[in-house]
Amino acid sequence: MIITGFLVLTLFQQPGQGFDHPKHKALFPSCTSCHAGVATKGESLWPDPVSCTTCHDGTIEKTVVWRPPTSPRRSNLRFDHLGHAAKAKDKSPSCAVCHTLAGEPRMAVRAPVVQRCLDCHGIRTAHVAAPDTACATCHVPLARAASFSRQDIAKIPAPPSHAAPDFLSRSGHGAVSRQTVGTACATCHAQEFCYQCHAGSAPPRAITWLASDPRSTAIVARAAPAAHGDNFADRHATVAAASTTSCTSCHVRADCLECHRPSAARGAGYHADGFLARHPASAYAREASCSDCHNVGVFCSSCHARAGLVASGVLRSGYHDARPFFVAGHGQAARQGLESCVSCHVERDCLTCHSAVGGRRFNPHGPGFDGARMRRKSFAMCTVCHGAAVP
Amino acid sequence: MKHVLVLLVLFASPLAAQGYRLRLDGRFQTVGYRGVQLDSIPVTDTVAGPGGGPTTPDGFAVRCPSGAPYCLFFRPGAVQRGAPFVSTADASLWGFGVRGLSAHATARAAVDFTGSNAWPGTDPALQLLTAYAEYSVERLTARAGRQLNSNRLGMIGFDGASITVRDGRHGLDVSLYGGWGLARGVALPVTSPALNPIADFQPSNRQLLLGAEAGWSGRLGDVRAEYLREVDPASDYFVSERMGFAGVARPAAGWSLGAGADYDLAAGWWGSAEATLGYTARAVSGAFGVRRYRPHFDLWTIWGAFSPVPYTAVQGQVSIRALPQVQVRARGEHYRFSDADVSTPLVRVEQSGWRGELGMTASPAPSWTFDAGYTREFGPGAASVGTSASVTFAPAAGPYAVSLHGAAMDRPLELRFSESVLHLYGVDTRYDVSPSVRLELGAVRYAEDRRRPDPAAIDWGQWRATVRAVFAMGSGDDLGRLPPAVRR
Repeated sequence: MIITGFLVLTLFQQPGQGFDHPKHKALFPSCTSCHAGVATKGESLWPDPVSCTTCHDGTIEKTVVWRPPTSPRRSNLRFDHLGHAAKAKDKSPSCAVCHTLAGEPRMAVRAPVVQRCLDCHGIRTAHVAAPDTACATCHVPLARAASFSRQDIAKIPAPPSHAAPDFLSRSGHGAVSRQTVGTACATCHAQEFCYQCHAGSAPPRAITWLASDPRSTAIVARAAPAAHGDNFADRHATVAAASTTSCTSCHVRADCLECHRPSAARGAGYHADGFLARHPASAYAREASCSDCHNVGVFCSSCHARAGLVASGVLRSGYHDARPFFVAGHGQAARQGLESCVSCHVERDCLTCHSAVGGRRFNPHGPGFDGARMRRKSFAMCTVCHGAAVP
Repeated sequence: MKHVLVLLVLFASPLAAQGYRLRLDGRFQTVGYRGVQLDSIPVTDTVAGPGGGPTTPDGFAVRCPSGAPYCLFFRPGAVQRGAPFVSTADASLWGFGVRGLSAHATARAAVDFTGSNAWPGTDPALQLLTAYAEYSVERLTARAGRQLNSNRLGMIGFDGASITVRDGRHGLDVSLYGGWGLARGVALPVTSPALNPIADFQPSNRQLLLGAEAGWSGRLGDVRAEYLREVDPASDYFVSERMGFAGVARPAAGWSLGAGADYDLAAGWWGSAEATLGYTARAVSGAFGVRRYRPHFDLWTIWGAFSPVPYTAVQGQVSIRALPQVQVRARGEHYRFSDADVSTPLVRVEQSGWRGELGMTASPAPSWTFDAGYTREFGPGAASVGTSASVTFAPAAGPYAVSLHGAAMDRPLELRFSESVLHLYGVDTRYDVSPSVRLELGAVRYAEDRRRPDPAAIDWGQWRATVRAVFAMGSGDDLGRLPPAVRR
């Protein structure tokens, strides 16, 4: 059976427009009388406009202006009528099977009904929910759909699988892509689409199996993985430390440096508005590791010094006036908040008392101090207090 | 030489695919604040204050070291005014004719127009944060130049080379890097005069740095190990030697268990560590864990020998999207320092503390966001309790956003007679002139009421204003319209 009537090869189902097929049903008993190209090699898919003037001459019927399309319709289907008929042989459907809905008359012609394709090919799901292996049955890879514009690509519907919470994770699209990137993924995507996120490090192998097509960025991938969730900025440290390669799949150094860099230019960003005012409470018992981003000497000390919060070698100035005898009993506070101490004090302040050479020989070493190891690892540091006579 | 040039010209690949990304970020701020200034007075000139203690004739409470002929006190200092302009440039270039070859640089220029250096980080005026060439293919990434490695041992800056070899099929990667190290938290070598305030024993040579990392990533989890050693070439002794371990397990969708620790090989003690169980779903996310924090000091300072003690914390947080437009959040942490084991317990300070926050974010209309929070923290050294709120109008189709924010806070100190109530009001605006140009304007007022019964209750209140402009430009049509998480 010869297939006729496939007027449009497109993804989008559109009702037949322009030519009113039902109105002409008595005139054309055969589809191929107008659309000879679907059955005969070398013939045009479209009727000759001159044939319309047989009736539409301005006398019998009003004249019509119609020209057959000069360029192929925008499509990503791999279908062509002759090839499909040759391959399907005696299973090849009639024109009406594909171009009408079930129960409609032969000339209620419309764009190809996708469900008919699915039915014949044994795909028992909705169109975009079809199994990954099914896409290539009807569609060419995006890179070969040359007639598709960026606008067409942007309108491609997303399969329901893409809405799964973990789809953006390694176990989601990552696992799928390793199996079907060349068939299913390639239908809608090309390398450039993947590079929208996978730009931070060498791309996963699956991406290299795709073709290159700049149009693929018409589909914009911007969503963050669901695993990030809320407050991820506050708790990403552990994940980032253990899964650096996962992070670098999507992120580049500039993303990290937005917060993690010693920049005096940063205002509200990593820290909330007004953090300056409450930073003492956060810094005394480090809510986070301040020194990862802020050098104590350049950042803390210089600012405190400008504000007058600097020891200047005068330990008995009484700045810590809420505790009598603080100088004599500061040990616990110092061991708990040494990073805070050194944001105002320099080593010379402490060596006034805590030195075996020239000081008062107060032993600063506390719990966990391994003198032998320290001597072995950094003898020079020991000599600061002990001179050459390191015990 | 001529022959080499001829050969280069003959065999050079075309640069047709060359592209670049450049991001310029300029921020101008004005700030003025009053600090304190140490002063003294002869003991004989002091008078008895209202509480019976010695004061200056004009009412400043003084502290008179026993046996000393003078007493000390802090006067309000001069108002410090600063007008810093800080500009940062991020640049990436690729397409040199060799696929996978690119170059990256981040530089910062800073100047204080008042010349007062009231703003930290403006010396030296020009700083190079990163500048390296990268060659990256599927199995290998190599870099040379100034780099910044981020791992659980911190942000490791160095001038040198690094190489990463990976087997993507099995999720394995191994990295090795080395060179001359930079100081922690800043893109300056430890020999820089700008770091001089930190210590009296500044090294005369930059430390040599060598690090290695190895990791495995799989569907159910990741594990990673790191090693870093820094050596002073002048003495051949360690500046630091540490190693770290971390892992994340993903036993089920939405669930993760992460843990890690670092060990200081030079000091012989465990540093920071943490273990966190997390759950994330569409409407609920939360985490619960324990962590331990111990500061790390390089061994060219003496601070590591003072035995800083760690604290151990239990923490949890939860965020619930109660309604599509409303999200509530809560988090809390309780921590306790290990015993400091001091021999002179004349002064007891708080050994434990806690932090907590309750908050809510609501978006009753697409363009409006309201946020409110209550925070409270109490612990050694300082405490604070406060509320904050903000309202933001950011139309989805509009190129601008306006945010008003305010906060009230009570912040007592533990070791100094100082408790102040602070009110903060601010406004931030953003205007996207074009997709590549963004302007920001902000102002904030800190209004402080310092509660101290003598004239030392100085007024720290101040205005801060900020003007910022961000320019992003680039070429390479294939990389157009990319989200932020891409090469720039």
